[in-house]
Amino acid sequence: MRILLADNADSFTWNLEHLLALAFHARVEVAPYPPASACGFDLLAISPGPGHPREYPAYGPLLDSGVPVLGICLGMQIINEHFGGTTDRLPGCVHGRAEAIDLGDRTLAVARYHSLHTAALGQGLEVLAVNADGVVMALAHATRPLAGFQFHPESFLTEDGEHCLAFAARRLGLA
Amino acid sequence: MPLPLAASAWLDPGAFAGLAAHLARHEGADLLLSGAGWPDEDLCLAGLRPTAEHVPDPADPKPGLRAFLAAHPGPALGFLSYPLGLDLHGVPSAKPRALPPGLFRKYAALLSWRHSSGRLEILGSDPALARELARLAACPPPLPAWNPPAPAPLEASLDRPGYEAAVERALEHIRGGDVYQCTLSLRFSREFPAEQGPDLLLRLWQQRPAPFMAWFRHGPLRLLSVSPERFLRLEQGRALSQPIKGTAAFREGEPGPEAALRNSPKEDAELSMIVDLMRNDLSRNCAPGSVRVDRHKAVFRLDRLLQMHSGVSGLLRPGRDGADLLLDAFPPGSVTGCPKRRALEIMERLEPHCRDIFCGCFAVLRENGDLDSSVAIRTAILDSRAGRLDFFAGSGIVVDSRPEREYGETLAKAANFLRLEDL
Repeated sequence: MRILLADNADSFTWNLEHLLALAFHARVEVAPYPPASACGFDLLAISPGPGHPREYPAYGPLLDSGVPVLGICLGMQIINEHFGGTTDRLPGCVHGRAEAIDLGDRTLAVARYHSLHTAALGQGLEVLAVNADGVVMALAHATRPLAGFQFHPESFLTEDGEHCLAFAARRLGLA
Repeated sequence: MPLPLAASAWLDPGAFAGLAAHLARHEGADLLLSGAGWPDEDLCLAGLRPTAEHVPDPADPKPGLRAFLAAHPGPALGFLSYPLGLDLHGVPSAKPRALPPGLFRKYAALLSWRHSSGRLEILGSDPALARELARLAACPPPLPAWNPPAPAPLEASLDRPGYEAAVERALEHIRGGDVYQCTLSLRFSREFPAEQGPDLLLRLWQQRPAPFMAWFRHGPLRLLSVSPERFLRLEQGRALSQPIKGTAAFREGEPGPEAALRNSPKEDAELSMIVDLMRNDLSRNCAPGSVRVDRHKAVFRLDRLLQMHSGVSGLLRPGRDGADLLLDAFPPGSVTGCPKRRALEIMERLEPHCRDIFCGCFAVLRENGDLDSSVAIRTAILDSRAGRLDFFAGSGIVVDSRPEREYGETLAKAANFLRLEDL
């Protein structure tokens, strides 16, 4: 399996590279934003990163290319905005803390690092997980192979990052 | 290629302090010293008579550094200054810089002394120089009595309203999703009699020992560091970082301050962020699956302060070396913020001064590829022409930081560092 990891000048990218390599037994190539094309890859992973999703317009064609996409944090927000969703400041935002959410058939602690959150869901997207306050923690497209996590599966605070990626892989039709 | 052992001797710590101060003052020695009481940091090094010098090229520092290390025998001692980190991350900066991007030296003679054994080794290929050093080590001049310089006014790079406004702007960047954490510092300047520099360092070495102390010359400037924090160590392919986040004052006899520090949600989150950042910076050059977090939230005591840290380690990927590890992880995550590049940009705009050596690192780069390095905090620049001491203090800004508290913490750190009267 070949994965293209698009790096939005983030400081967790290499944690994600390790997790992707281990969870998918994959060869992972890291490319800085904007990546030219995801052609020939089995999965495009969009890294976390600074700022608002509107600062990253180059992902549009990649999200429509048919290549499966997994977005983490900012990466999830980029998917959501692509389908007309909106991203706002999160009052009482959370950085560097873990909390339990239900993901698939398991409840597990996941790491949160985000100032912004999904204020309105994009067209055709569905929510897969929320936290106790109703903040979107995971979403996916209803018919296309696109999924995202607001939380950070690659953090050492997350209980079982490989479980999270296996969950995403099933949703994306990769497993 | 190692330097040959030329002579050895046994010295008690007091005699070593006298020798080190003498060599720094009269022989132009560069020093990397561990203070007493740190079981894992036992070694003191003094480099004399540089035979070669290397300034890293900010555009592409690795090939030149590798060539320099291979071309000359013995370990290299030196530093990387913080603005090199701006260059490496493509962050523009027009502020005047007092120091080159970095500086590494190889020496005709290297002295190595260990707290645990008291054994001094004189390494080098020049027999006459080794004999001279052995004679000096046999009867070193005592460390001069400490004569605290008269109190002098401190000049800060930002006043209180200016600093608090900068914190407020940093918080706005955090709330807007640019960063989770950044650091803001102040530069302080005061008059200081330059000839007392070596005595100050060795007096601190005796009275307030820190695991990573340094004295390094560059032209008329002397860099003086009393750092509690390791940046990166590389030993036989295993990389280790020990980032510190979370500081609390304690009073002798007060029960349980360690638990209070460990249980603080703010300190916990600050350290966790930096642990994830250092995992990233190691993972870039370490093998997938090899990066671990050990001793998370360990607390140690240093000079009236409790500090909380964690260990992050990993095994280098095949084909990577110390130059990759050190330069790709630079500047140290614990004193920048996360995500690092955006944090560097924000800090560059909010701070009026250049950090120069502050938040850079000191390092020893060994001939077998191993290295050890410190984060250059609790660090000063002494200008021997102007008789001026510049030093720095800063704090980490996270979403629940309060400007007035950060200002207080930064001033307290600065005052604690330069408490000269009771030294």
